[in-house]
Amino acid sequence: MSAPSNDFLDQILARAKDAGATAAQTLTSRMRYFEMEFDHRSVDLVRSTENETTTITLFRDGKRGSATLNGRQPEEVAAAIQAAATAAAAGVADPANDIADAPSLPPGDHGPAAPDRAAMRAQVDEFLASLPSRHPLLRLRDSLYTFTDQETEFANSRGLRQRERRGRHGYRAMFMAKDGPLTTSFNAVGGSSFSPFPSLYEAAGVGRLMAECERSLQRRPVAGKFVGDVIITPHCLTGLMPSIAGALSGQALLAGSSPYKDKRGERIASPLFSLDNAPRSEDFAEGSDFDEFGVPTRDLPIIEDGVLKDFLIGYFFSRKLGMPQTAGVRNSRVRPGETSLADMIAGVKRGILFSRFSGGAPNDNLDFSGIAKNSFYIEDGEVRHASSETMVSGNFQQLLQDIHAVSKEVVNFGDCAYPFVAASGVTISSK
Amino acid sequence: MLDRLVARAAQLPSYGELRWHANHSSRLMMRKGVLLANGRSRDGGVSARLYHNGAFGFAAAPADDEATLAAVIATAKDNAEFAGGASAAALSTAAGGGAYDYRSKRAPLSAEQRVEIVRRLDEAIRARYPGLVNVDIALSSHASEKILANSDGAATYSYVPRAALVVSMSVAANDGIVELYDILGGFGEIEDQSFDEATLAPWLEELHEHLRRKAEGGQCEAGDHDVVLDSALAGILAHEAIGHTCEADLVLAGSVAGDNLGLQVASEKITLGDYGGRGPDGKSSFAIHVDDEGTPCRDVAIIENGVLKNFLHNKRTAQMLGAEPAGNARAFSFQDEPLVRMRNTCIAKGNDKLSDMIGAIERGYYLKRSTNGQADATSEFMFGVNCGYEIRDGKLGRAIRDTTISGVAFDMLKSVTHVGDDFRWAAGGGWCGKKQPIAVGMGGPSIKCRVTLGGRG
Repeated sequence: MSAPSNDFLDQILARAKDAGATAAQTLTSRMRYFEMEFDHRSVDLVRSTENETTTITLFRDGKRGSATLNGRQPEEVAAAIQAAATAAAAGVADPANDIADAPSLPPGDHGPAAPDRAAMRAQVDEFLASLPSRHPLLRLRDSLYTFTDQETEFANSRGLRQRERRGRHGYRAMFMAKDGPLTTSFNAVGGSSFSPFPSLYEAAGVGRLMAECERSLQRRPVAGKFVGDVIITPHCLTGLMPSIAGALSGQALLAGSSPYKDKRGERIASPLFSLDNAPRSEDFAEGSDFDEFGVPTRDLPIIEDGVLKDFLIGYFFSRKLGMPQTAGVRNSRVRPGETSLADMIAGVKRGILFSRFSGGAPNDNLDFSGIAKNSFYIEDGEVRHASSETMVSGNFQQLLQDIHAVSKEVVNFGDCAYPFVAASGVTISSK
Repeated sequence: MLDRLVARAAQLPSYGELRWHANHSSRLMMRKGVLLANGRSRDGGVSARLYHNGAFGFAAAPADDEATLAAVIATAKDNAEFAGGASAAALSTAAGGGAYDYRSKRAPLSAEQRVEIVRRLDEAIRARYPGLVNVDIALSSHASEKILANSDGAATYSYVPRAALVVSMSVAANDGIVELYDILGGFGEIEDQSFDEATLAPWLEELHEHLRRKAEGGQCEAGDHDVVLDSALAGILAHEAIGHTCEADLVLAGSVAGDNLGLQVASEKITLGDYGGRGPDGKSSFAIHVDDEGTPCRDVAIIENGVLKNFLHNKRTAQMLGAEPAGNARAFSFQDEPLVRMRNTCIAKGNDKLSDMIGAIERGYYLKRSTNGQADATSEFMFGVNCGYEIRDGKLGRAIRDTTISGVAFDMLKSVTHVGDDFRWAAGGGWCGKKQPIAVGMGGPSIKCRVTLGGRG
């Protein structure tokens, strides 16, 4: 498979013009992927794939249409250009529909170009050999050690060109504990890194979770119903933060459904809480130099000391809403605080260490309810027992205001990074 | 292409499959009259998977010429050897065949006609219901086209489409924005669906009425409650509460289902199966006849009259647990290996009336529509509920806001006292996430049981 090239993209733009486009852009992503999948006994699958995906977007008299194909078979490319042209002709005109005018960046090159498969295999073998002694009750399934090499190239008919390459290692562990008839919930954690992970026991904070899993065989519901504290773990935040980021997005502002739509410059969270969007950070293997319109990304604070500084608005919505573009890509980072996790737990009168949210998608008002999975009951500053059949209910707008501690400890997942966050006022209930 | 794959598959050095696979999809999405998505995509290529010493090697590339095919076979062989397992017994050799082409026989709708469906619907909703804060309309289609051959002689072609229309409305209530959506559509292409005015008008009226009442409603009371699950929710119950727990790869990992085979896990009123074809009534939103390992699809009785009877297998898990695979190995795209997946999973209907179920509850909830769901090895399930009503003294009361229900399936199913004489496949079909997304069918009747609800009331 050939590498992305200006020739290929230029040909597409030229043919888009021939198809009636008044403007056009194209985004090509070439990916080589390598994966070892294993359970607690052995490697059960080695998978390697190649793909090249190209999205062609045509603009015609303020209307927009797109088509995505993979590979470069000439008849498929021609069909995709024609489909995008037909879609654009049939579209709905909007003055916000246009290609971007932005500076072209020097090509970006991040991370290794190829995996050391033998070294990765040795890491997996060492991990599986030591697992029975370190975690004898742990069972894994569909766990992955991967390497992705991705080249992304963008071009538009205004002359904007971008290119970047990212090589990253990925890890996912999915596990539970079983001892005779006793079974725990599944837990799963994943992360990515430019470098190979030094240890598969420590990647993305998995070591703490594996130890907690084995301590969860004996668990019971939290007694009754009460309003208490939650210490939200970094892993739990990976599931919760997209709802908050969604409420700050251009899509939500257009809908008029965001509770934060008139709150820029106002305090929407505890002064202890600061959230950045950091797609350019070298901490994030899954960051981006530019967005889907070819506009260079930038790091910027979204919530600073509890005050909403900016929304997460991409190119189209910045034009549609008449607001500055702040983000076309999301890589969230909640800044660490000054409290240790141990001190956070010691400060809880009654609540839970909230490790995974399994619940219905939060609504526009950011109400949430769901099961606190892989979680632990805390009383008088001590972790008492693993919880089962325990539900948490609340509202994220209020929860952000009720944060009273943020941890020093942070877990970097490769696309986001979060500390532990303690908040009050959550309804905790069981059967 | 099939002939080429068959010829190559016959020469594989060990058990293996070759698959040409393309996903075709389209999506239009309009928010408040602004067309935010207007396009189509195609993603296709070839893959090879080879079995060697108890492990698999897999490779895929986005082309289908002879050189690419030879290359992916060679890479899959290298990967299988790199996986380096120990010797293992042979896999099942059941080999399916046949062509299953569900492509629409109607003329395809043009791009203009598709946009017109969305545009006119948007105008009609905003004219009819002027107080709405937001209106989202999404019209989408997805078709999976596959050609598969394996080294045991399986050779098959399939083209399975489905389409969905989703309308979401939002309104301002005293305490914030309240939203509700519903889905129409299912099996077939967009042109096979009934998205005409006569179908849509009463559907929209009902959706708006539920939204209006939801905005006036309140939080439900957290805790354990008697509930009636509408037939629209039965599918997600079958899928999340039971189906996942009985997937044999989860059983091998330690799912509690493994300790309960042959035991009473549910009320005798519960019979639940996973079906090939288009399900027992031939009306599911999804069709499958041969799976992606080449196994012909058979129906699987998971629970019969409350007793756990069978698990869902691929060739490898069937070998490990001494069972026969029934065609549950499925892959989402050409880049994906087949996993143990559900197909058309449903609870069989019973004899009870919905009105009798509601009338039998003194204080509880009638839950009408679900959102997302999740399963667990413990059989503890959850799914979101975005439309429901209180039941007080056997009558429906005020609407409730969004909530989540949960339970331990093997406990909850024993609490079932009524199984309805109605039956419904989930509208628009369902999608399931498990390493890969996959289209599934799910359905069932109304059920009266006891579950745990989240909430701040």
